[in-house]
Amino acid sequence: MKLERSKDWWLNRARREGDAVIGAGLLAFDPAPEERAATAPAEDSRIAFGKFVNLMRRRRGLSMEQLADAAEVDASELLVIEDDVHHRPEPRTVYRLAQTFEVSQMRLMQLAGLTAANDAGLRQEAVRFAARSESVQKLTSEESSALEAFVAVLSEQEPKRVK
Amino acid sequence: MMTEISVIHLLDVATGEGVEGELRDAIEQAQLDDWQKEWQPALLAVLQDLARRGVPVDQWPQSWHWDWGKKTARVQGLLAFRGFSVVAQGVTQGLSQVDLTKAAREPSQAGKPLVYLDYVEVAPWNRPELGRPTRLRGVGSALLTAAVALSDEEGFKGRIGLHSLPQADAFYAKIGMTDLGQDAAYQNLRYFEMTAARAQAFLEKE
Repeated sequence: MKLERSKDWWLNRARREGDAVIGAGLLAFDPAPEERAATAPAEDSRIAFGKFVNLMRRRRGLSMEQLADAAEVDASELLVIEDDVHHRPEPRTVYRLAQTFEVSQMRLMQLAGLTAANDAGLRQEAVRFAARSESVQKLTSEESSALEAFVAVLSEQEPKRVK
Repeated sequence: MMTEISVIHLLDVATGEGVEGELRDAIEQAQLDDWQKEWQPALLAVLQDLARRGVPVDQWPQSWHWDWGKKTARVQGLLAFRGFSVVAQGVTQGLSQVDLTKAAREPSQAGKPLVYLDYVEVAPWNRPELGRPTRLRGVGSALLTAAVALSDEEGFKGRIGLHSLPQADAFYAKIGMTDLGQDAAYQNLRYFEMTAARAQAFLEKE
């Protein structure tokens, strides 16, 4: 799109703007810290959940839209799942992602902070996984092996009970 | 898709002179790099300065409450959306993201398509609310002009809508946008809309 206006036209607009503040949207508006504190306890594993979804998607070479189509979930929710540890995902979305990635639905629910984890082992694995993976364009070999190991844990049918 | 570049002019606040700039109809990696390497440190410097001067937190600009990591991730995500950027003096001066799937709410045009501005942000050094001398004026106006022009080009007759930041309410009212009140679904930000009639006046060549 091309705009053709004279120098004076633009400068008049700039003068009219004066000392006005211009900004819009929630991304420019920053929520108060209290609103985030409420969800803090689940964040450890949610970091792992977001990274897990991000890495699994990239390993399959899918864009967010493509994964959204494949799993029949909302692409905008995938975006916040991958980027925002404060976001509490919809149970249906987690269920669809577990099916799409062929991992245990129960464990993925725990990872997403939707059900209480009675499984200290999973939490430990989640933290280790989150620490090993960094969000970059291509999966590094470290990320791939961290992901493989984590998928194996997530795929076990019954969680190991820690007494 | 090739990025189209329009030449625009901004006002250098210190000298009162015009400064040539570019209005680009895309947000590209260079802009995101600027956001992270230029905007973020500039804002941090303002905030550190406030802290040193002992200004109470409730008087700080809203941007203090940033979760940097989260915001960075979201800004990086802008690449996937349609947006505009203003570049001048070799650096990104403002960014906006637009959504062409929303409908108008103002009674005279309710239900009609418009260009919704999902995000408008001006570089910290151009923002008067941060309490420091500003460098360039006209960046926000240029981003709004781009949205109205896009709306016109799309056949939406210049209709635009946005959720205003609290300090920006006065400006949108001043340029003739209709204030449709606080929106509980958007953290009570006020929703403003520009009607087709106002838009034509806004774009008019003087």
